Amino acid sequence: MNESLTIDWQGESLQLLADRAVFWPKEKTIYIADTHFGKAATFRKVGIPVSEHTTMEDCLRLGTLIDNTRAEKLVILGDFLHARAGRSQPVRNLLFNWRDQYQELSIDLVRGNHDLQSGDPWPELGITCLPDPTPTKKNTWELRHLPPDEEVDRPFLAGHLHPGYRLHGKGRDSLRCPCWVASEERIILPAFGSFTGLKNIKHEKGEKIFLTNGKEIQELG
Amino acid sequence: MVVQASKQKAKTLKKPAIDVVLEWFKTKQWDPFPFQKKTWSAHAKGESGLIHAPTGTGKTYAAWAGPLIEWMDELGKKPMPKRPPELRVLWITPLRALVKDTTHSLRTLVEDLQLPWTVEERTGDTTGSIKAKQRKRFPSCLVTTPESLSLLLSYPETKEAFSNLRTVVVDEWHELLSTKRGVQTELGLARLRLWNPKLKTWGLSATLGNLDIAQATLLGTNQPGKLINGDLKKKFEVDVLIPKDMEKFPWAGHLGGKMVEEVAQQIEGAGTTLVFTNVRSQTEFWYHALQQIRPKWKDEIGIHHGSIDRKERKQVEDRLREGTIRAVVCTSSLDLGVDFSPVDQVIQIGGPKGVARLLQRAGRCGHQPGAVSRVICVPTHAMEMVEYAAAREAINERRIEARDPLRSPLDLLAQHLITLALGGGFFSKDAIKEVRSAWSYRDITEEEWGWVLDFIIRGGDTLRAYDQFKRVVVDANGLHSVESRIISRFHRMSIGTITSDPAIEVKFSTGRRLGTVEESFISRIKPGSNFYFGGKLLALKRVRDLTAVVTLAKRGKGAIPVWGGGKSPLSSELALGVRQKLEAAGKDIFKEKEMRALRPSLELQTMGSTLPKMNELLIERTDTREGTCWFIYPFAGRLAHEGLASLISYRMTRLEPMTLSLSFNDYGFHLCSTSTKEFNESDWRNLLSPEGVVDELLECMNLSEMDKRQFREVARVAGLIFQGYPGARKSNRQVQASGGLFFDVFSKYDPNNLLLTQSRREVLDRQLEVNRMVSTLKKISGQKIVRESPSRLSPFGFPLWAESLRSQVSSESWSDRVKRMSQQLEKSA
Repeated sequence: MNESLTIDWQGESLQLLADRAVFWPKEKTIYIADTHFGKAATFRKVGIPVSEHTTMEDCLRLGTLIDNTRAEKLVILGDFLHARAGRSQPVRNLLFNWRDQYQELSIDLVRGNHDLQSGDPWPELGITCLPDPTPTKKNTWELRHLPPDEEVDRPFLAGHLHPGYRLHGKGRDSLRCPCWVASEERIILPAFGSFTGLKNIKHEKGEKIFLTNGKEIQELG
Repeated sequence: MVVQASKQKAKTLKKPAIDVVLEWFKTKQWDPFPFQKKTWSAHAKGESGLIHAPTGTGKTYAAWAGPLIEWMDELGKKPMPKRPPELRVLWITPLRALVKDTTHSLRTLVEDLQLPWTVEERTGDTTGSIKAKQRKRFPSCLVTTPESLSLLLSYPETKEAFSNLRTVVVDEWHELLSTKRGVQTELGLARLRLWNPKLKTWGLSATLGNLDIAQATLLGTNQPGKLINGDLKKKFEVDVLIPKDMEKFPWAGHLGGKMVEEVAQQIEGAGTTLVFTNVRSQTEFWYHALQQIRPKWKDEIGIHHGSIDRKERKQVEDRLREGTIRAVVCTSSLDLGVDFSPVDQVIQIGGPKGVARLLQRAGRCGHQPGAVSRVICVPTHAMEMVEYAAAREAINERRIEARDPLRSPLDLLAQHLITLALGGGFFSKDAIKEVRSAWSYRDITEEEWGWVLDFIIRGGDTLRAYDQFKRVVVDANGLHSVESRIISRFHRMSIGTITSDPAIEVKFSTGRRLGTVEESFISRIKPGSNFYFGGKLLALKRVRDLTAVVTLAKRGKGAIPVWGGGKSPLSSELALGVRQKLEAAGKDIFKEKEMRALRPSLELQTMGSTLPKMNELLIERTDTREGTCWFIYPFAGRLAHEGLASLISYRMTRLEPMTLSLSFNDYGFHLCSTSTKEFNESDWRNLLSPEGVVDELLECMNLSEMDKRQFREVARVAGLIFQGYPGARKSNRQVQASGGLFFDVFSKYDPNNLLLTQSRREVLDRQLEVNRMVSTLKKISGQKIVRESPSRLSPFGFPLWAESLRSQVSSESWSDRVKRMSQQLEKSA
């Protein structure tokens, strides 16, 4: 497995996984966000040639994470499916095959904006769909897809932003990669899906930014 | 009276057509030039050709009168029809901004001759209702852009509508020639010629070093043409404002603020002035500097460059045309449109970088018969004075750069074939012949052709398994067409080749758009701080998503934005001239005023080091605080030097492990090493060997980052990503992806994808000028290597040393790189 970095958050010990996930060892739960399965199929529908290899790779990566952490629960923080057009045969087959290998895993999905458009996942996948936000029973935090604009009472984990950070060096030197944005009240996860883009975020006061290149994690600053 | 009108009978021509035109010239008190008459006579014989001249004078009428004469000759004694003839002339021009002016200019002649011809424009700006009217019946002459022509070709009805077309005129062909839009034009013309083999093509071009090739690309492989020289032997003058105290004049630096007062005085002495700079940040700087030094010019000067919003630019263009503006500070954004807004004076700030460019800019003034086209050059550092002297000589001898056409860009071919599939369909055997008649595709192999077809039909190798994927479909007879409406819509929306960089839009809170700046710049501006843009001092309120909201700042200072766009390198022709001047100086020959002014500085160069002769390569070694500094001067332009710097440092680290930082400019490159190792003659010969250049470059340069950036353009042209209209972006959010994303996916799963190959080739050819690198090293292998060890930085070395771009060649781990960059970030915060 690739690198992981342990942080303390809300009194708990969490592991950031370089493959763009968060693992909570105490509850054996993996959190990911924004898989956007079926995005490639959406492109194919309008004649843009993209294959499903990224879906296959994402399934493999997820499987490896589950194997290595021995997680018993997977929580997806929104945008599981990209669009209705993505509910195509190749995508369905890949996801069904994957699920067959992890039948014991409990999977929850907090519905994101894309899920509302594309509809809930195929019932055969046995994914429990939850509203945004959803409280957790084991702690005070909430599970969200959309990070709220105003202040909220409870701390939360969220996705949606596909956060990326761009570092500028001298001259034209620059580096851009996915990241976690963590403050006392929230952690925004990077998008798990490979065929997703990045949206640059700014480093605000009181926040920590953790960069990942898929293999290593580096805290900013 | 040319035409006799009568109350009952329709008008008829009383004279032969050519005389009609000559009479019109007489009324304007102009004499038609011999090259114009030559063109009309060639056109009358059904010939095609290319008219070339340094300035615009007369080329338009040379091309326009021909088709009018043809129509009048056909008419003969018959009464003139009331209804305008349907599309006989297609006039292609590269810029939407020029379309309007061209249309107006062409209309003037037909109105004066009282011919029932209509001239209309058709671009992305034309309204839907006008476009619909045109599709029912096209005007006699349609003025349009290469993209709009492609769009027309995507409709099956166009073939019929164009059945009367006799002549195509392509304006500013030198500008289109070495670009993908030029290739797009070639393919469009190939289709028009298929429909009408007798179609006449006439190109209008500035002077180029390779006019034969320029004509061949325009006319295609099957057509001979007449090269017509429209050069009126205009006199060109290159004047240089020599700085008053040369000793304090910098040997490095870009912004040349020391010359602002002189420039202001020059502007005062003329009616309208164009002040050309080489990069956008210089434009902002100079506009601001001129305002500071002449506050009363507040509303009298304008600013114009590619990142300013179109509406703002149009206002400046209008004022320029009307003559109600004193000066415009601009970049190459105002290089075209010579005919329409001649000015009184042209100033060039900084090095010209190329002879053709300087010639073209000079040609913006001095349009009156007998007048001189003059450009006033303002150096921003000392070496530019040598460039001016070299440029003047090259202009007098008409030693102009060549523009090389592109080689079979497959992304464009994919786009074009889908256009043909939409516009009535095509058969592979016929289409390959048609495409091969376009010069840039004359050598396309069966294999490449097959790949492109596979790409547009099946999506390429990796999509083998997806039966539902449909783009272009092939029926039982082999007809390739597009059936899906959604694909048709997407394709038409995305036709084009221009990719804009992802940029931050600068807007007032009212919504008024000012233009774009780069993210790397705005990320350094704290909300509340000021920066200059579009000539205004702005205060940043906030940045959200891709928008920076600003207000007008009352007073204070502001940062000048910087854009990272590629700067043009010093051309080989100009570099040759510079070397000649330096050699002469080394022999104590100082012919020109500029060289004499530089004499003390050049003598300084000879004190610690030397002035290289034509057959010498100068290598200097100076020890500084940073380490051992090597300075190598091939004079091959900044792009080639970037690659050479990486290559040579890579080779050095293989001789002995060391850390190197490097920099480069148009005259040479610099390597700063932590090792004190000395290299002898034989070491240098090895380091500078022309063998294995490309392979080693692939190993040492972070080419994949450059590939990824270049791939954006390829992905856009091939229809993988599209930008569409600003409003359309929201509704197509589901199929938004960046070129970088496709690059990653293809690199991983489809590495033999020919689009990746093309992108890599474009990086090597265009961004690194690999050919120039190799030919420079070959030349060096025949030169004498002169090694000097000045104890202090020489005048040549100093600018390199001060050059801000530095990068490290030694391999850092990813986390080390992140650590280093975030430390630099803290330092500058």
